[in-house]
Amino acid sequence: MSKKLKIIGTPVPKHDAKMRTTGEAIYGHDIKLPNMLYGAILRTQHPHAEFIIDVSEAKKLPGVVCIITADDVDTNHIGYKRDHPILKKNEANCTRDEIAAVAAETKEIAQEALKLIKVKYKVKKGLYNPHDALKKNVPQINKFSSGKFENKNIAEKFFYEHGNLEQEKKNSVAIVKRKFTLPRMTHACMATSNITAHYTKTNGKLLLYSSTQVPFLYQRDMAHALKMNPSDIRIIQPIIGGGFGSKLDMHPFEPICALLSIKTGKPVQILYSREEEFIASPTRQPMEIELTAGVDKNGNFTFREIEIIKDNGAYTSWGATTPFVIMQAFSSLYKIKACRFNALAVYTNNVFAGSFRGYGNPQATFALERVIDLLADEIGMDKAEIRLRNANTKGEITGQGLHYDTCGHKECLQTVIKKLKVEKKKVEKNNRFKRGIGYASMLHVGGGAKIYRSDGCGTTLKIDPYGFCTIITGSNEIGQGSETVLAMIAAEELGIELSKIKVINTDTDVKPWDVGVHASRTSFVAGNSLLGAINILKEKLNNKAAKLLNEKTKSFTYENGNIISPSNQQIALDKVVREMHFTEPNELAIASYFYEPSSKFQDKDFKGNVSGTYAFASQSISVEVDTYTGNVQVLDIHVAQDVGKVLNPLLLDGQIHGGILQGVGYALTEELIFKDGELLNPNFHNYKMLTAADVPNIHFYPVETNDKQGPYGAKGVGEAPLIPTAAAIANAVCNALDIEIVELPITPERVLKAIAEKKNNKKNK
Amino acid sequence: MEFEIESPKNITELCKTIKSYRSKSFRFGAGYTDLLMELKKHTPRNLTVINLAQLKDVSFSSIRSTTKNIQIGAMITASKLVTDTRIEQLFPVLQQAAHNLASTQIRQVATLGGNMCTASPSGDLICAAMALQASCEIMNDDKKIHNLSIQDFFIGVRKTALKKNEFLFAINIPRNKKRTATLHSGFIKIGTRKSMECSVVSLAFHLQIDKTGKIIDAGIAIGASAPTVKFAQSACQFLIGKKINSFSEKEKEEFANKVLSYASPISDIRATAWYRKEVLFNISKGVLE
Amino acid sequence: MEITFTLNGKKTICHIKVSTTLLELLRETLNLTGTKPGCHEGECGACTVLINGKSVNSCLYLALNTNGKEITTIEGLTKPNGGLDEVQESMIKNGAVQCGFCTSGMVLNIKALQLETMQNKKVPGSGIKNSPNRNEIKKWLEGNLCRCTGYVKIIDAAEEVFNKGK
Ligand SMILES: Cc1cc2nc3c(=O)[nH]c(=O)nc-3n(C[C@H](O)[C@H](O)[C@H](O)COP(=O)(O)OP(=O)(O)OC[C@H]3O[C@@H](n4cnc5c(N)ncnc54)[C@H](O)[C@@H]3O)c2cc1C
Ligand code: FES
Ligand code: FES
Repeated sequence: MSKKLKIIGTPVPKHDAKMRTTGEAIYGHDIKLPNMLYGAILRTQHPHAEFIIDVSEAKKLPGVVCIITADDVDTNHIGYKRDHPILKKNEANCTRDEIAAVAAETKEIAQEALKLIKVKYKVKKGLYNPHDALKKNVPQINKFSSGKFENKNIAEKFFYEHGNLEQEKKNSVAIVKRKFTLPRMTHACMATSNITAHYTKTNGKLLLYSSTQVPFLYQRDMAHALKMNPSDIRIIQPIIGGGFGSKLDMHPFEPICALLSIKTGKPVQILYSREEEFIASPTRQPMEIELTAGVDKNGNFTFREIEIIKDNGAYTSWGATTPFVIMQAFSSLYKIKACRFNALAVYTNNVFAGSFRGYGNPQATFALERVIDLLADEIGMDKAEIRLRNANTKGEITGQGLHYDTCGHKECLQTVIKKLKVEKKKVEKNNRFKRGIGYASMLHVGGGAKIYRSDGCGTTLKIDPYGFCTIITGSNEIGQGSETVLAMIAAEELGIELSKIKVINTDTDVKPWDVGVHASRTSFVAGNSLLGAINILKEKLNNKAAKLLNEKTKSFTYENGNIISPSNQQIALDKVVREMHFTEPNELAIASYFYEPSSKFQDKDFKGNVSGTYAFASQSISVEVDTYTGNVQVLDIHVAQDVGKVLNPLLLDGQIHGGILQGVGYALTEELIFKDGELLNPNFHNYKMLTAADVPNIHFYPVETNDKQGPYGAKGVGEAPLIPTAAAIANAVCNALDIEIVELPITPERVLKAIAEKKNNKKNK
Repeated sequence: MEFEIESPKNITELCKTIKSYRSKSFRFGAGYTDLLMELKKHTPRNLTVINLAQLKDVSFSSIRSTTKNIQIGAMITASKLVTDTRIEQLFPVLQQAAHNLASTQIRQVATLGGNMCTASPSGDLICAAMALQASCEIMNDDKKIHNLSIQDFFIGVRKTALKKNEFLFAINIPRNKKRTATLHSGFIKIGTRKSMECSVVSLAFHLQIDKTGKIIDAGIAIGASAPTVKFAQSACQFLIGKKINSFSEKEKEEFANKVLSYASPISDIRATAWYRKEVLFNISKGVLE
Repeated sequence: MEITFTLNGKKTICHIKVSTTLLELLRETLNLTGTKPGCHEGECGACTVLINGKSVNSCLYLALNTNGKEITTIEGLTKPNGGLDEVQESMIKNGAVQCGFCTSGMVLNIKALQLETMQNKKVPGSGIKNSPNRNEIKKWLEGNLCRCTGYVKIIDAAEEVFNKGK
């Protein structure tokens, strides 16, 4: 694309920012339908128990319209492995388990009714540690699992390998082995989960106002759960108050709300309280990663051997498939000759893990980058140099079969290493405050990820007689700004003002198919889909314009609402549209296109080029640690990211900053704390999200590699920023204090413990 | 959340209201940042809230100087404490504690009285007021006032010495000993993030130093380390008469150990007892560095 | 009980249950849904409104205590002709809005800081007049959680508002 871009690459504010700044935007919480009932869910009091339930008292409460338990409904199980009953019958297996639901005239009555439901529990001893769940002679936790593995409590299993591991071990001059423990983190979207369901009895249609990020998969899942025809279910997405992966799975409260509406024939709304949001949302996968890795005498990485045990929780969600991404980091980030990877997802009586921005990659990257520092120490090599030496390169085909047609890894690394050096003047104020620096990189899919039979997106594009353009796209807006990017593309290509472009993307009855928001794919896939539609539409417009202008050429340019020929004849775009419509052969200015990325399903050994393109990023981070309190202050974060091409610097910055701060939270403060399956900190008071006061200086350097496949050369960007952050911070803290960190978050207490242990070790020596 | 409300407009009405509720269950409400949180979780039946927020009496919500004291009305909000120049100059420890309490929005409404009467072991304003050796002015429903030292005001976890017919009217903070004294005064709040923290441990110190560098008075209090906020008497005694710049490493540690002797922390989800002690020791030492 | 207050410039009379919070009154009775419920416990700031020009969490404020006071919600910041307040403009221009759920609260809290510096000529605890610096802005916004933006652009937006006033 040689022509000069006018709109792409400029800082266009978000398409609908105004509406979101004035309070006019309608979120799920703001919907109020006539005769709407309020739903509420009763959850088990004990993470693991048998129970008998009696709703008769609650039913008598005036204002209660409907109460359902497992006995009242005929449904299929949900979840990635269909091992999750919507309402649990007789047995609860984790603290969030739904055991009954109420629809009532007011929220207060619904809550009151929950209190009147009598439940008799027979508490059982749960299995809260995956190692315990793997022992012989323990009960089967999930009775609905396929049980196809050697141990009844294994939910999913992955094995991958490339290269000659034994040989590479021999080639290594240093080998490091460590076990890392990663915590449960939660999305904590500012808007809690919500849904409004409206079933109309007369025609058997179900309308859902739902915040799902994958409406078409959701429609199918909902239909399966409720034993309905998918086409009878229409999903409208209100404005969504944060996603980050939390809305990839369909969660039990959603079909529950639908069931309450079906039973009552009235609209029903369920809004989570903040406490419920903490207890009953999917989490980032907690896991133990044991990593053994080697390096040869020249500082080249030789092999990685990985054993992972993931705490799956009581049911299986999409999150169980995170090893796809995890193994990719281990097999293909930095050049690596041999890799062997084993991962188990193990059922426990904990809450189940789901998908979360980064999808396993922050965990993998933490282990991997921590071990790189240790390997560098072992052979006495500089930590920047060892990374540069092993960085991925353009044209590389990795052991797993990823094709790096473009690759900004080295440039990213060089940039952040250089930038941090500039301000590296180690100011060691006194004994109390210690400074350190750390590096980390990441690799992530940048052009979708083929995990479903199609990873595509459809677009219908039309221009009306007044020269306004409507983009009807399959893709979704969850706050990341995808609408804006699409509008910019249309403005760029069609020469139509941004204010005359509308994006329609919220209604499954209207919009064409799309797999949903995941894998940082939206700009890439939806952008390409839109470009496809634009090309078709332009062909029609060009033909008409040529006729009207008496031009032979078909290569017109589109600017300022006009279509312009090479000989500088021009005609208004809306005029061409009207002429198309009102003169024979009477045609509308409308076009549809479906884009399917070139990515392939991986083969049964998990090999194959799973994404259209790959994104790389490196971060270098400086920290100051208060050795009196253990508090880690992140000073500067330098981040260089291979984004392919900057489509909109304003939105891009937003993704970078937002991702990084989530990464800092993962590194330092955020953790759901459980004891015997029960959550101890279901509130913002004790689940510590960072505040504005904690924000470090973030310096961002986009690296443009112009990927052939991406729209204008762009790659996916959304997940990358948070992936290497925790790893780089951990490396910086270790560097500052000369300690080892094998666990996140790096709380002040853990830091002081590590310092104390170091002192003790010295004493004992 | 269901309750009844009484909104007296002045102290006379307030006293009358309290009298008429003698045998019934009631709670005071000031800024409501603690009370509503509590009532949202559980509201006892037939509860009445006596609303202090609409009282017009200035004395209840102002800061006044007397020759001996600075008197701070119970209805003074944290944000008032932050912006008042007298507090800033005379009692930096209190200003800092107020400035680090919760958030801007909460500080606009959260009152000194509410903080004191919640009597949380991690109450930040309590900790600062204790280091300043304040005394409490307590009023009863006969409008009688009596004084109680701040240390006697707190009798257990979330328990004060207030009787049912009493409320906190104000606190009195003795003026610094000498106008010319320099102050080493501050509030240290330990948590995992910079803001919105409930103290894992807190330390309030207010040292008055004469021209020669000698410490002429000292107030040290610790929070979140025991069932109530504690005044570290022996640590204060240790400092008085010594030169602020002359402490040896050993003396600093001795001082820190004295502070630590008042701590009997528990382990909870925020931190273990071990951590609380370790940090308290370190930051106590830090005060003298 | 009956309360009378000024809501976004208009005298308003409401009948309320005494235990109603201001957040409930605004969203459920008055249908002003621009004020967002993020936690109902004073931790997130999404429900921030201005009471007599000061930012307050409406979820921890009893509606009855607004009697006689002036309330401004996000809806009241927009001018009658649809024009935006300079804080809103700055938020949009700086890319400070992603999902937008925190935005009403952020905007109003920045507005409160602007009003504060205009009236008191002093930013709490700093002594700086009129134009708070970046760290003071960060501190001021500590009670407004945002999960999307990492705060950077929001702080930028606020800074721009104050720099303009210089
Ligand atoms: C998000 C959040 C963060 C917080 N962070 C902090 C923090 O960092 N540090 C901290 O110390 N606290 C913190 N708090 C607690 C609380 O804000 C403070 O304790 C505040 O000072 C309470 O004041 P209030 O006026 O809101 O009290 P209210 O809630 O009105 O009252 C609290 C209690 O005191 C009683 N009471 C109030 N006034 C009187 C009086 N004059 N006489 C007798 N009894 C009275 C009430 O009956 C009630 O029991 C936080 C609270 C929240 C919600
Ligand atoms: S809803 Fe009020 S602070 Fe969160
Ligand atoms: S923009 Fe989404 S929470 Fe702030």
